[in-house]
Amino acid sequence: MSEQDGVIWLTIFGLAAASFAIRLSGFLLAQRLPRTGPWARGLEALPGCLIISLVALLMVQGGPVEWAGGAVALGVAFAFRSVPLSMIAGMAAVAILRALG
Amino acid sequence: MTSSGLAPEGVPQPQPQPQPLREALAGVRDMLPLAFAVATYGAAFGVLAAQGGMSLLQSGVFSTLVFAGSAQMIALERLGAEAGALAAVMAGAALNLRMLLTTASLRDALDGQAAWKIALGAHLTTDASAALLQTSRAKGEQASYWYLTGGALLLYVTWIAVTVAGHGMSALIASPERLAVDFALAAGFVAMLPGLWRGARDLKPWAGAAVTVSVLMLFTPLAASWALILGALAGAVIAGVQGDV
Repeated sequence: MSEQDGVIWLTIFGLAAASFAIRLSGFLLAQRLPRTGPWARGLEALPGCLIISLVALLMVQGGPVEWAGGAVALGVAFAFRSVPLSMIAGMAAVAILRALG
Repeated sequence: MTSSGLAPEGVPQPQPQPQPLREALAGVRDMLPLAFAVATYGAAFGVLAAQGGMSLLQSGVFSTLVFAGSAQMIALERLGAEAGALAAVMAGAALNLRMLLTTASLRDALDGQAAWKIALGAHLTTDASAALLQTSRAKGEQASYWYLTGGALLLYVTWIAVTVAGHGMSALIASPERLAVDFALAAGFVAMLPGLWRGARDLKPWAGAAVTVSVLMLFTPLAASWALILGALAGAVIAGVQGDV
């Protein structure tokens, strides 16, 4: 087993354990977990904030080609609301720009 | 799989006599449109997992044990960035924290069931479960355990099957660099944004998250994975304290 293989398995089992613990805890804490107020608002906003953070990170790390690809993917996502289609459009934009550059 | 908000508690209905198979099939029927959406997303994940160096067995086990598309995607992205297992698990788990609210919202269906049924129901919970709950509430019915589990099982089987199929298909894709496959994950996350956007109340949290990540990356030596988590937490805190917008 290569080192990267070990890291992958560790990630798989680690995320599996964490995900199951979160899912079960949600039900078990249901009586106590506030359904409104600051904690609920923060938890509900977390997925969007995490994805926008990742996009910001990837854009800071990227250059003009990645920014253009991101803009194309975002435009297609707004127009068609399809994740796979937007991915293909963004990748096509990046592939074309790389071929030209 | 996008996140959905939680509806206020429905009015309790009188409990009819349970009919597991019939209820499960109704759940399957109501979940079908979502299963098609999940299938394309899962196939894309399978392709990316293969490109990211996961074996067929690993991607199959990943989808079986975790069953959370966006968390698997972000963990895969962190692995690709060589951030290590801890950072990958942290990022995926942070994305899954919202499930606390999803399984909490299924309380009425899970309450009083046998332990194995609670464990199964919890493991199969996704954002789509919340959508199914809303569907049955819109019809004025209380979602039963087997209605939710039947629908979730369809999604589960679909998710695992298309992950494996997507992994198999990736072998057919030649020269990944020229096809910009390395940009696929970035494009995928950008593509999720319109579905996650909940309107004006997301403006300040999202701006705060993006600015935090950018500032940390440009002006501090902090590793990308921690900038990512701090940015997301900053956004969630802003959402928590800003009150109802």
